[in-house]
Amino acid sequence: MPWAHRVMVEERQWLTPEDFTETVGLCQFLPGPNIGNASIVLGKRWFGLKGAVVAFLGLMALPFVWVMALGSVYMQFSDSALLRAVVTGVGAAGAGLFIATAIKLGKPLARRPAGLATAMGCLLAVGVGRISLLYVLPVVAAVSLFLSYRKQL
Amino acid sequence: VTLLQLALYFGILSVISVGGLPSVMGEVQRIVVEERAWVSASEFVQLYAVGQASPGPNVLIVALIGGKVAGLAGALVSLFAMCGPAAAISWWVSDLWDRFKLSPTRALIQRAMTPMVVGLTGAGGMVLATPDRLPDWRMWGIAALSAAGMLLAKKLNPLWLLAGGGLLGAVLL
Repeated sequence: MPWAHRVMVEERQWLTPEDFTETVGLCQFLPGPNIGNASIVLGKRWFGLKGAVVAFLGLMALPFVWVMALGSVYMQFSDSALLRAVVTGVGAAGAGLFIATAIKLGKPLARRPAGLATAMGCLLAVGVGRISLLYVLPVVAAVSLFLSYRKQL
Repeated sequence: VTLLQLALYFGILSVISVGGLPSVMGEVQRIVVEERAWVSASEFVQLYAVGQASPGPNVLIVALIGGKVAGLAGALVSLFAMCGPAAAISWWVSDLWDRFKLSPTRALIQRAMTPMVVGLTGAGGMVLATPDRLPDWRMWGIAALSAAGMLLAKKLNPLWLLAGGGLLGAVLL
């Protein structure tokens, strides 16, 4: 996403910064990969269906080849304990990035105890309880909407 | 049959992945590792790491899982199942969203999103840091360091944090 900002807003000036923020805000709220959704929304806005399809495929095609190549290289050497340890370490660092993202996004909740409690409940149910999202999501969505309606968020 | 199952599972996840892939990472792990046993817990973390380290959208981890389960066809089916339904929703909602730009309902929904996305993203991190449900201080330590790094050094490219995680992994794990 930071790269998308640099290229589309700063270098090519396809979008104003406000437009970018607005689009990203929408795509964060929509289900699905954020940047994938952004490619659909922007492709559609500029060139209709063709634009959306082209933007999406353009976004995915090369990285898909990359990731599959990297994956198969990794499979070749995954017998090596050292490589497994390195890759697991990378995974743990990636987990840290998730946690940092959650903290960043959660800053506005610091002054909203009810919202914070909802977020924590959601985290515990899914992260520790490992309860299926199919049960957790409707409950959390209902609670959040209620809180939002009552101006608690 | 496996291809159909992949399409079905990822198709459902696509629709419920509010806030993006991090939100459903925990659920993906639950289905792929615990329910179907398509990949082992440690393989899951490793596939995630490969996906994270390679350039491109993080949704490609789904292609890696699909590829591991059912080859190239599995990879393509999983990726499109994960993106397709969400893309259709984006297509349809983006107009509505513009039309209701000033509507209070839109603001209400937007505010309601924060706790959900925060909780789910945090849960994704927890699941990745405890792949087989046993807390391991080394995994947690690396995760905590990289989280701190991202929060404190805002200009730092996250790839450095991943590289540091790999280095620590080599030493500790």
